[in-house]
Amino acid sequence: MSATATTGASAHRSPGDWALKVAPWVVLFVILAIVPFQFPSFRVEQFCFWMTLAIAACGLNLLTGYNGQISVGHGALFGIGAYTTGILITEFGVPLFGATVASAVLCFATGILIGLPALRIKGLYLALVTLAVATLFPLLLEQFSAITGGSGGLQITSPQLYRGEMRERPIRLESPVAGLENDQWKYFVFLGITVVIFILSRNLIKSRVGRSLVAVRDNEVAAESSGIPVSQVKIVTFGLSAAIAGIGGSLFALDQGQLYPSSFTIVLSIYILVAVVVGGAASIIGPAIGAVFYGLFSDVIVQQMPDRIQPARAVILGVLLILLMLLAPGGIVGGFRTLQAKWSARRSSALNSGPDPIV
Amino acid sequence: MRDFLQILLVGIGDGAVYAMLGLGLVVIYRSTGLLNFAQGEMAMFSTFIVWTMWSLGLPMWLAILGGMAGGFCVGALVHQVAVRPVGDPHEKPLAVVIVTIGLFLGLNGAAQLIWGTLDRSMPPLFGRGQVTVFGVAVAWQKIGAVIVLGVMVLLFYLLFQHTKLGLAMRAVASNSESASLVGIPVPRLLMLGWGLAAAVGTVAGVFIAPNLGLGTNLMQLTLIFGFAAITLGGFDSLVGAVVGGFVVGALSSVMPRYITIFEKMPLAPAFILILAVLLFRPEGLFGKKQVTRV
Repeated sequence: MSATATTGASAHRSPGDWALKVAPWVVLFVILAIVPFQFPSFRVEQFCFWMTLAIAACGLNLLTGYNGQISVGHGALFGIGAYTTGILITEFGVPLFGATVASAVLCFATGILIGLPALRIKGLYLALVTLAVATLFPLLLEQFSAITGGSGGLQITSPQLYRGEMRERPIRLESPVAGLENDQWKYFVFLGITVVIFILSRNLIKSRVGRSLVAVRDNEVAAESSGIPVSQVKIVTFGLSAAIAGIGGSLFALDQGQLYPSSFTIVLSIYILVAVVVGGAASIIGPAIGAVFYGLFSDVIVQQMPDRIQPARAVILGVLLILLMLLAPGGIVGGFRTLQAKWSARRSSALNSGPDPIV
Repeated sequence: MRDFLQILLVGIGDGAVYAMLGLGLVVIYRSTGLLNFAQGEMAMFSTFIVWTMWSLGLPMWLAILGGMAGGFCVGALVHQVAVRPVGDPHEKPLAVVIVTIGLFLGLNGAAQLIWGTLDRSMPPLFGRGQVTVFGVAVAWQKIGAVIVLGVMVLLFYLLFQHTKLGLAMRAVASNSESASLVGIPVPRLLMLGWGLAAAVGTVAGVFIAPNLGLGTNLMQLTLIFGFAAITLGGFDSLVGAVVGGFVVGALSSVMPRYITIFEKMPLAPAFILILAVLLFRPEGLFGKKQVTRV
């Protein structure tokens, strides 16, 4: 799909086309930079949550969108990232973003572990196993309540200077920049991490490794016979995907400051999947668009509805998922690409149509 | 020993319910080849229909029949509008998974919209009484579950082996293309299969609701138990679902009792079972071996 679009554009490349390509990104970054100054603090906090969701969706997209391994259990990996961060900070005094790195590493290892059985268990059956993982995860947190705090929750604290003495206090991200509020600082830190992750994923997908991911998805046997180490690719993809989801979870922990098992149920896994599918699976920016869509929908639009009909949120999302699969499996990005392809086809036919073609 | 027997019997009673849910899953797998992740939510939804009719004053058995009819309609409708148009589950697994996940969300939300988020209580179908056999007390409700399961299996057997309709359904399951060539209305039979599966799920829901309280999360754990049952039994085997259901029920009742690490998560043994079977014997105990041609 993207191949046809890019060849269409490169056929007659001009400075105008280049500007057309860069301009949307410039506009996007300007908007992203202005946003935290235009909205009240609670909205900025919500944007931070959307970013953690976008990161997790980016990880899931690598695995499911590009590599074709279905996971309905990324909420659990997100949760492992979150709890690792919380426990490392509270129990072991690890610095905040050091814990994020450690969470990514641990989730990478977990992903590898899940990836091994996934070599044999495929398609619908892998979906079943991951669904079971997602259902089991909150129970696991309750079972090991000695370290996770169980349903009472985990308060993430670190030793901080308070009224002249060191005390265990709830963590917070303090802004080192005068003129930036704490939440605005957090927004920019999260935004930086999110952008870096999306750019790295883009580079990965455009690389040789990325092409082998897609080759494995499209036809395993053909990939194998053209020399792609299929098992390695699948396992490492699972690891990377899990690590990225774990970073999302880690930021979620830093964002919330407290963790409860009820935040990591099957529903979370489903919402991560919603972000991928609505935005557009197998497109880099799709999961980010999907996460923003989900955020706008559930934090802004649904909040306008009376309490009684708020469960309609799930109904609307469910119906939307089904309709997307039936009408536009490529999600928002896929739909946009189709429109773009139509438009550029019309434009090029307009350009080429000097005398009418002889039929 | 008596203690062990007691726990085992409780597990077997639970297992009968997992088997009921499993039967529905198998019927759907056999006819449409997909794992229906929304099966639990369909059962939850129709159990709420039973509750509504019962609380309006209908006798319980009539309410259950009504709920089964309602469930049948939900299942048939779901197949017609959502599942069939997506296409072959083994060619497009992601699309099918997403559709069933969409159904999961949609049905769960719809139930919350209609019935609210408070848990309702439902009386056990066979009362709260117990009977003591060899010094072990067994609730009538558990015995009832096993009997109802037996009746269900008998009905399924009669349907599939001794009626024209059942023969046609088996033809669709074994080769839908050839079936349609000999004039069998395949789509209508698939719809019937989905309706049946949902109706069977209703009964599972009716048995679970008195224990857990009837809420919109009613079936989320039970669904995984049901899947464990059919994974062990073989995804396409009705007998397998029953045997698998009993094994899963017994394991998840006995193991948390004696192994402390499973104490708060009876789901863990079921999960380990799913993983182990899929890894080492993907066709389960009674399932047909799947051969993929390259």
